[in-house]
Amino acid sequence: MLTSEHAIVNFERDRALPDRLSRKSDAHYVDLAAAMLRVYREGVGLTRRELHRHIERLFDEEPCDARRIASFCKLLDDASTFHTDGGGKAARLRLKVFRLAAKKHPLVTEKQTKTLLGELEQEEAVVKQEIAAELGMSWQEIDEALYADVMQFHRLKTPPDYPDENALLSHYNVAQTQAALYKAQSATLTANKDFKTILRYVKLAGLLHEIRRVDETTYRIQLDGPASLLRTTSRYGVRFATLLPALLTCKDWSFTARIRTPWKTLAILDLSPDSGLKSHLDVPPEFDSIVEENFAGKFGEERDGWRLVREGAILYKHQKTFVPDFVFRHEDGREVFFEIVGFWTPEYLKAKLETLETFSDRKILLAVCENEGALEAFGGWAGRIITYKTGIKLGIVMAALETLSL
Amino acid sequence: MSATLSYNEGTLLLNGLSPKEIDRLFAEGVWKWDARIERFRTDAFRYGQVAEILRGTFGSSLCDMIPKPAELHWPKVCLHKPRRDQAEAIEAWLSSGGRGLVVMPTGSGKTEIALHLMARLGVSTLVVAPVRDLMYQWHLRIREGLGIEAGIIGDRLHKPSAVTVTTYDSAAIHMSSIGDRFGLLIFDEAHHLPGGFYRDAAIMSAALLRLGLTATPERSDGRHVDLDWLIGPEVYRRKLSEAEHLAPFETVRIPVKLTDEERERYDTASLAIRGWYIEKRKEKKDYDKKDLLAEANHDIAARRVKNMMFLKEAIEDRADEKLRVLEDIFRLHPQERVLVFTGSNAMAIDISRRFLAPTILSHTMKKERQAVLSGFAAGEFPVLVANQVLDEGVDVPAAKVAVVVGGQASTRQAKQRLGRILRPDGAARATLYEIVCEDTSEVERSRKRRRSDAYERTRHRKF
Repeated sequence: MLTSEHAIVNFERDRALPDRLSRKSDAHYVDLAAAMLRVYREGVGLTRRELHRHIERLFDEEPCDARRIASFCKLLDDASTFHTDGGGKAARLRLKVFRLAAKKHPLVTEKQTKTLLGELEQEEAVVKQEIAAELGMSWQEIDEALYADVMQFHRLKTPPDYPDENALLSHYNVAQTQAALYKAQSATLTANKDFKTILRYVKLAGLLHEIRRVDETTYRIQLDGPASLLRTTSRYGVRFATLLPALLTCKDWSFTARIRTPWKTLAILDLSPDSGLKSHLDVPPEFDSIVEENFAGKFGEERDGWRLVREGAILYKHQKTFVPDFVFRHEDGREVFFEIVGFWTPEYLKAKLETLETFSDRKILLAVCENEGALEAFGGWAGRIITYKTGIKLGIVMAALETLSL
Repeated sequence: MSATLSYNEGTLLLNGLSPKEIDRLFAEGVWKWDARIERFRTDAFRYGQVAEILRGTFGSSLCDMIPKPAELHWPKVCLHKPRRDQAEAIEAWLSSGGRGLVVMPTGSGKTEIALHLMARLGVSTLVVAPVRDLMYQWHLRIREGLGIEAGIIGDRLHKPSAVTVTTYDSAAIHMSSIGDRFGLLIFDEAHHLPGGFYRDAAIMSAALLRLGLTATPERSDGRHVDLDWLIGPEVYRRKLSEAEHLAPFETVRIPVKLTDEERERYDTASLAIRGWYIEKRKEKKDYDKKDLLAEANHDIAARRVKNMMFLKEAIEDRADEKLRVLEDIFRLHPQERVLVFTGSNAMAIDISRRFLAPTILSHTMKKERQAVLSGFAAGEFPVLVANQVLDEGVDVPAAKVAVVVGGQASTRQAKQRLGRILRPDGAARATLYEIVCEDTSEVERSRKRRRSDAYERTRHRKF
């Protein structure tokens, strides 16, 4: 990730526009990115400082913000590995050399032979040779190793793992948008199909949410942090930034962040799957388990007036949310939620039961994998539970639906 | 339902009171209704104030879930008896209810005051210091004075314990998760606290006892007034001039010339920059540095001019002649510890490689820092080179010669740096050398530096 010092944001009226390289107007960046990757691929063994100088030179004829160049250097560094002198080798060498030299202090360029005191002085070149001889290295070796642990002098071990120049450019665009989000105070997220996944990411990012249902399938989620209620703060900006790559893997959403400008006003940053940003993360699988997938396939689109919608609703009570695997919606308006509980660990079961308890006033049908202790654990759910071994039987579900939805 | 008070991510939550009761008991705006979780919420720093009101109303039926600060028993207290002024400061802070600011000059034993208070109070304590060096120094002083190994948050470590040291940066980031753990907060160099994000370190903590230490509370942005509610009122102040034990010192300014090669590069850059401004001002009368920097973002020629400005600074910063002057200073003080301050890491490393003297840079790790500092203290290393990281209060024992090689113009920095060499040490006289390039903008920075009231008469000396 970039730091806020790297962020290039243009403000137009009340809009915040993070720096963005476009396929059309910045077509020459494809070549530039390829050249940058070449610098690193051919630069194994060079120091960070040397690599950055090379990158800067590539931009000699490119009129752009210096922060853009620094950003590319940061992204390339982050995706590479460097020899970092983890064991404190350089530090040990320093102490050894400096202790030897301390006895000869001060190291002068030339002795002042005319004075008595001058006679006692030690010449720099001589002392350095003596130390080199004592340590059994050449002075040049010592001089190079002395500060090898300083960040700028770290040497490249493996070049960046970007598959190609386009991957570097897409990552740049995402990273600049993330950097703009560091100054976000709050955001509104409208989610449709993927809200279960989105909510999971929201929680992982440590954000608080306030959910409102807009229509049957659309929810609007207001996002910020605990202290946002008390004062405007950008302290949760980093959390919005970490949410972004995950959000980009989802479908059917729109996101509006309120960003603090340098003039302490607010600007709007709008994002959606059509913003042209591409996440480096993998798209999450559509079905959590094979059991769900098989059941949805068997059920088909519609059966006896019931439609099956995968993850079609959020049940929410304050910060507790629950997205059942499926919703059955009858054409006459009846609604039954359907949750499949597969193989489980005691911890998973405990958390699941707690969640279900919160929403026990709702019409929820459970399908529990038949193994030892399962039915016992769900004792309180008698009448609202069916069991399965390898696949869920349609007939049992249809019967349960009719009794439960009355 | 009885009233329940709890801590949540840097804030307090209140449950069991109706909006009417809230209005009756509290001033407007203290509590806000948080519909997201159906609780009243307020900032954690108000804990003392709201808990008192709630206890007064609900007595023992109040369910206060904020943990009582852990009580500590120090394994081995080893502290000097406080001096008169230190004892006064201690009493002043205690009698103001354990909240407030102590203002004393650098080098007059503020750390001692804090350690005495910790010893007396025996509660879980978080010490917040501006930089890592100072954090480690507190770590050391706590071990020596109270016999306890403090936890550390910062410098890529996260090991909180009942006594913990941290930096402002880490405190602001992590306070939301540790703000209910400490009874006492100590803010070293407390003038940093009101700046921007750092204040979260005070706002998000429920600690009742708060001690601020500084030599210079005033801030140019005026935000020091917020120290009043972030920490507490100023309870004790002693000015620099009253410090009876400070050694007399003199300031010696040494102008150096650029070498012919440096001068040529410097003048070429100056000429190009001047030419640029002349051209630009034909179109826009008040074209200035800000315009140049903005233009450099989309214009190659402007960017080159901008880079020339950086080049000029770098030439000044790392002028060759400075190394020769340093050699002469070292020669002048062969028997004395010399502390060298530089304006950049690059210059510090240049000096270190030339004279084979140890450095303390912003990224120097704990072990090496301590080896270098204690080696310098013991006289094992005659010279210590540091970039600005040593600016504030890092304990470098009784060096009597300091050299400032470049650096930023700032009166606070000047004070802090002087404080370093002014440590009481008998009647020994201290000298501060300032090496600046002649006929460059560094001369201007040096003038600014000397405006600080800490500087006395300056002697100019040509080598």
